[in-house]
Amino acid sequence: MEQEKKNFHDKYYKILLLIPVALIILSLISMVIFYSNTGDFINKDISLTGGTSATIYEKISPSQIKEDLQDKLLEVNTRAIYDIITREQKAVIIETTTEGEETKEVLEDYLGYKLTSENSSIEFTGSTLSESFYKQLLIAILIAFVFMGIVVFIIFRTFVPSTAVILSAFADILMTLALVNILGMKMSTAGIVAFLMLIGYSVDTDILLTTRILKRQDGSLNKRIFGAFKTGMTMTLTSLFAIVFALVVVKSFSIVLTQIFTILAIGLGFDILNTWITNVSILKWYVEYKEKK
Amino acid sequence: MKINWKIWILIIVLMFSLIAIFGIPPKIFKTGVLITSVELNSTSFEQGLRQGQIILEIDGNKINNLEDYTNALKDKYTGEKVKTTFLTNELEVIMFSEKNPNIAVAQLPATNIKTGLDLSGGARALIQAKDQKLSAAETQDLINVVSTRLNVYGIKDMNILPVSDLSGNHYMLIEIAGATPNDLEELIAKQGKFEAKIANETVFIGGNKDVASVCRNDATCAGIETCQKSSDGGYFCNFRFSVYLSDNAANKVYSVAKELEVNVTPQGNHLSEQLELFVEDKFTTGLNIAEIFKERPLTQIAISGSESGKDQPEAFEASEKQMQKLQTILITGSLPYKLEIVKLDTISPTLGKDFINSILFAGLAAILAVSLVIFFRYRKVKSSIALIITSLSEVAIILGVASFINWNLDLPSIAGILAAIGTGIDSQIIILDEAKESTGLSIKQRLKRAFAIILGAYFTALVALLPLLWAGAGLLKGFAITTIIGISVGVLITRPAFTEMVKMIEE
Repeated sequence: MEQEKKNFHDKYYKILLLIPVALIILSLISMVIFYSNTGDFINKDISLTGGTSATIYEKISPSQIKEDLQDKLLEVNTRAIYDIITREQKAVIIETTTEGEETKEVLEDYLGYKLTSENSSIEFTGSTLSESFYKQLLIAILIAFVFMGIVVFIIFRTFVPSTAVILSAFADILMTLALVNILGMKMSTAGIVAFLMLIGYSVDTDILLTTRILKRQDGSLNKRIFGAFKTGMTMTLTSLFAIVFALVVVKSFSIVLTQIFTILAIGLGFDILNTWITNVSILKWYVEYKEKK
Repeated sequence: MKINWKIWILIIVLMFSLIAIFGIPPKIFKTGVLITSVELNSTSFEQGLRQGQIILEIDGNKINNLEDYTNALKDKYTGEKVKTTFLTNELEVIMFSEKNPNIAVAQLPATNIKTGLDLSGGARALIQAKDQKLSAAETQDLINVVSTRLNVYGIKDMNILPVSDLSGNHYMLIEIAGATPNDLEELIAKQGKFEAKIANETVFIGGNKDVASVCRNDATCAGIETCQKSSDGGYFCNFRFSVYLSDNAANKVYSVAKELEVNVTPQGNHLSEQLELFVEDKFTTGLNIAEIFKERPLTQIAISGSESGKDQPEAFEASEKQMQKLQTILITGSLPYKLEIVKLDTISPTLGKDFINSILFAGLAAILAVSLVIFFRYRKVKSSIALIITSLSEVAIILGVASFINWNLDLPSIAGILAAIGTGIDSQIIILDEAKESTGLSIKQRLKRAFAIILGAYFTALVALLPLLWAGAGLLKGFAITTIIGISVGVLITRPAFTEMVKMIEE
């Protein structure tokens, strides 16, 4: 292979690796602090702690109803839902860790009318069930991650590149998790599903990159990296744009989708970093090391 | 231009999907309004109107849409009993009533796409045995009992199935579409134990093992017989209904009865012991046993009882209620376990419609965003359009498969469709880029290489989704299902077709 002039990336890619390393360490520290403060990895919402979520189709101010019900229900949280187009309030959501029947009674008492399936939705999840949900979703993510790792190893059959792919996926999840916690987001079951989606999305670009670099011989290493970069960035940016656009639309309306989209957007952001710095640097180092030998 | 067979496959699958979604002839052209719920025990219910029927005509006037329906009934009821004729797709119903029929109607669905409870409204309960773990077989027993019980109450549009999760817990999942019965909790979780004893020996219990059938809603063998003033100034009413025992139970009654003495009284002869009924282990009634039971096994017996109230209507209602309760537990038997409702969601249909609109908006926004990025990056109208078309047909095929397998699209399923489409677009970008790589390879070889990457991505995504099929009692299964459908359709059908389109464009 002809000797190219060393460009910026050739000189500094190992140093660039310090950015993700620093971020991983910071994320780990913040997670340790978070865990020691709360005893858990995430802020759980009632879908994971157990409790009741009542949606009442009326224009009631969320702050007002929160104040009024504070001492009748446990850990009350409220928010409003707006129409996408008219921006008019459509409903108010009341979340509490109080049981379903009791919450219903308190609300009926407060509103002065019966809650039916015409004027409201009530969702109750028992705390033992939520706990087992939470545990299982964590197991699901763990299994998904292990399965993904196995498939990656089967595809590439070499230790360093496969580990690099898995490491960048792990870094994506870790950094996203840390940021979500720092932002104080309360995670629902949907949020955990979003992390599962993130595994899929983040591995896509890593597989593309690793295949182009290891399994192709055409062009120089840098050329192959740059080719993969162009394709991968298009992939990530399309997803990111689509998600952000969709997020703007559903933000006022669906908490579930808002959470999924927000977590994905954050995750894809970190994926750019982890694919094109973490994974690229490790791979380049690996290829150059092998070429020297 | 010759169109490759891979593109033909896409076209054919797409056609089938559209048929699965819209039906033949397209549902959109059908007229009428759909009955979404009928209040139990209302006149409409008794006359045979049921959820799922389509009202075609009222009093001979064609009903094309909701507006026609409202107009047809608007000024009809002024307080006096009037005749109304409903023609549905199943039957014609003539009703005399002074008020609106107790039914809810909706516009006919335009497609075969079924939405889950969280979008269409309804009730969902996840039920577990209290203080004990059930096996899969035990859960199935429980489901059989509960479904007969719900059927007896006239709840038809429901889904009741066993679910299990990763930790080996078995649950019973009950989903009821449309309006939620108020006493759902009592209906599913009350145990309902019934025992009939003679001389302290159980001769038969509720359930189809001992009870062949129970007479209900038939005045010749079930009903309130007499109402009388009681000595304390209130009223009491007597009810009586026939029960048909299995041969086994009849023999059991005979074997105990034949040992008994006969008491001779002025009111008639009966046996020395009574047939004692226990509900939830509590003694409720003692019935005299006729002499004839001593002679041979009899399968038909009559159960009677009485309830009191402060006036006659109250007594009547109380005894009717008691009779229905006894009938229900005699038919369905007791639930084998004490139950606990671990999750109960009652979801109003109100927000669902808005939600679907918001999803469509979000989808449009996402497509717009994708088109912008793609066009900006490639500056090629043809390839960009091919990419968008492929993605849209992927959505159509996912929805088609979902309609075909009767999958209820709930929120997680919709999130899954989004995930699949996102992955799909990523793969198509890989194909586009690999196709224009300037290597010495032929386009065919280049696209083959693209497929290697896509397959790698496919399998990692596939295995990552598998645990979700079981985690969390399957409530998030929808996500995994639609995503798996989507990415599989992608790898098998749309991506190969897209590759051919790119080949055609490049050549």
